[in-house]
Amino acid sequence: MSARTLALGVAFATLASSTAFAQGYEGVPRTYLWNPDVEVCFKDTAEFAKEGPYTIGFSNAGLGDSWRVVMQHSVMRAAAENSDQIERLIITDAGHDDAKQVADIQDLVSQEIDLLLVSANTQQALDPAISRVMRRGIPVVMVDRRIASDNFVTFVTASDAMMGRMFAQWIVEKLDGEGNVIMLAGQAGSSPSENREGPARQVFAQYPGINVLETVYSDWSPVKGKQVMQAMIAKYGEDIDAVWSAHGLQTPGSIEAFLEAGYASDDIPIHTNSDVNGGLQLALEHGIPMLEVGYPPAMGGVSLGVALDVLQGNPVPCIYEINAQIAVTEGDETASVKADLWVRDMVVADGAADLLITGGMGPDYDPTTYSVDYPN
Amino acid sequence: MSNPALPGRSNLRRALSSNGALLAVIALLILLVLVGAGLNDRFATVSNLTNVFEQSAGLGLVSLGQTLTVLTAGIDLSVGSMMSLISTLASGLIDGDLARAAWVIPALLVLAAAIGGGNGLLIHWLGVHPLIVTLGTGTVMQGVVLLYSLTPTGAMPFELEWIAYDRFLGLPIGATITVLLFVLVALMLRYTTIGRDVYAYGDDPEAARLMGISQRKVLIFVYAMSGFFAGLAGLYLSIRFGIGDPYQGQNYTLASITPVVVGGTMLTGGRGGVIGTLFGVLLVSLLNNLLNFLQVSTHLQLVVQGLIIIAAVSIYIERKRGLA
Repeated sequence: MSARTLALGVAFATLASSTAFAQGYEGVPRTYLWNPDVEVCFKDTAEFAKEGPYTIGFSNAGLGDSWRVVMQHSVMRAAAENSDQIERLIITDAGHDDAKQVADIQDLVSQEIDLLLVSANTQQALDPAISRVMRRGIPVVMVDRRIASDNFVTFVTASDAMMGRMFAQWIVEKLDGEGNVIMLAGQAGSSPSENREGPARQVFAQYPGINVLETVYSDWSPVKGKQVMQAMIAKYGEDIDAVWSAHGLQTPGSIEAFLEAGYASDDIPIHTNSDVNGGLQLALEHGIPMLEVGYPPAMGGVSLGVALDVLQGNPVPCIYEINAQIAVTEGDETASVKADLWVRDMVVADGAADLLITGGMGPDYDPTTYSVDYPN
Repeated sequence: MSNPALPGRSNLRRALSSNGALLAVIALLILLVLVGAGLNDRFATVSNLTNVFEQSAGLGLVSLGQTLTVLTAGIDLSVGSMMSLISTLASGLIDGDLARAAWVIPALLVLAAAIGGGNGLLIHWLGVHPLIVTLGTGTVMQGVVLLYSLTPTGAMPFELEWIAYDRFLGLPIGATITVLLFVLVALMLRYTTIGRDVYAYGDDPEAARLMGISQRKVLIFVYAMSGFFAGLAGLYLSIRFGIGDPYQGQNYTLASITPVVVGGTMLTGGRGGVIGTLFGVLLVSLLNNLLNFLQVSTHLQLVVQGLIIIAAVSIYIERKRGLA
């Protein structure tokens, strides 16, 4: 049973990286292989099995950043590819408003959906509403952003904790255990931000020489990332040795803030990045040491496949992790962090700065013009 | 505006103006249900309409208080920050402990009313437009709440969740209580001295002063009510979400004005009332729900809401000119 789901995981993992770009790690998630637990939690979904075709509701937290746009397109594309099994995919967009997302979810339930796919704006505030959907017997599959409780069938993610820890450990080792870090987080209260921040703080706390100067929130925006980093530069200046960035969306803004403050390339602190081309481009252009750990928006499409699995009664892992590829600028590997490929091989040198390399949407994909005919 | 020599005519005009607006918003509500029923067969079901009613409670509470400030030709731009402040303090101080909720909730409601009353007093003392005063106090409150916590914090006791999600005789409890509060405030405006003073002051502050109505008293009263109901909205939503959020009220400041205007309360004061606002709230909630059913983009939903405000304001201004 688990073999089937794992095979599926591999299939999707391949899909996730089947772009025209350089290939890195393509296997099953290392968080699965390296998991020391003898038993990995799997969930029996027989109680949710029913005859298709299905009506699936997708409550999206919002389209507030380019990652979320690609993720939603990935869901739509997967629905188009599985249109024989899907009668309707109803998508709502909460505009990053908890109250609207609670209402959206109730509206979807009113439309008699067979399954709720949901990316929760914040992990606490959506908990009561989503838990109620489960209690009504409608299966819930979460993607990218979970709720605080375990009241869902499964959660499709790329391991926030692993990312947060690896970013932090790399920074510690690059700084030889001595230095000051700014934590440039995402949206306050959202699970991808909180679940990367917490494990990272735990890593930093083990090294008395590492000092977290401040945690600031970018709302996953390059513009806001730049603004808050300008404020940090004004406050701490040369004392900043590293920027722990929870994702690549805000990394280019942060680097630009240092450049505009007149920093020479050599003086720009080391940065972390995910998925976003612009951060990698700037790192190569200015020789900034960088660690890239992917958090692929292709998980949108994966989550729809998992949703169909649940509705067919196939067992699924309790947390469905997809693989994350690791890239480092040359010469910046550390004792604990080894690269699957170099940043220079991963970057799309002539691509747009806001391109999400790990979107899995193919080389001709353009988020501004993309449309696909899915059952709705 | 009103002519003291012709009180009868003034009352008639007021009645026509507010009832006309009320009838218009009810007609729009019915039209929306019929259109929605034609477009989607699950829209006009009892279960969906009950959901819409439930979803209207938060906006309803904050708009109820806002109506009173607009009736005095004022506005309260601090309601969103008030919601954020009260919800975050509640969740942080209660931290999931029902016993603590018993004193924290009443204390915070008193605090909300007191801050609101302070708004009224400031407006009276400074003689500055309420827009500026409440923008200032709202900014202060937002700053204070962010100093307290940058992220959602604490927890509301799950034992209170029934207020936000459960049904009594098929009716959502929170929304039903909200409607009762609307009726209570409507009765108070009609039958108490302070209620009548609010209308008189909004209609013509100078005439009200000559009649011996205290500006200070009216302003403290309406802004205290506005603060109180914004605080109540913040508490209700934090119970619904299980946690307070320092940005909870962000979208509510301007949203609270839409139902007031759509419900026929004049921004120039003195005309309209809370029952119109109640139907305005239902209209906005129903419209958002229908746009969801039609899978209309959230961004277009904002455009539609904005156009409705402009349409409502222009229609009611026309009506007023025509009758004047």
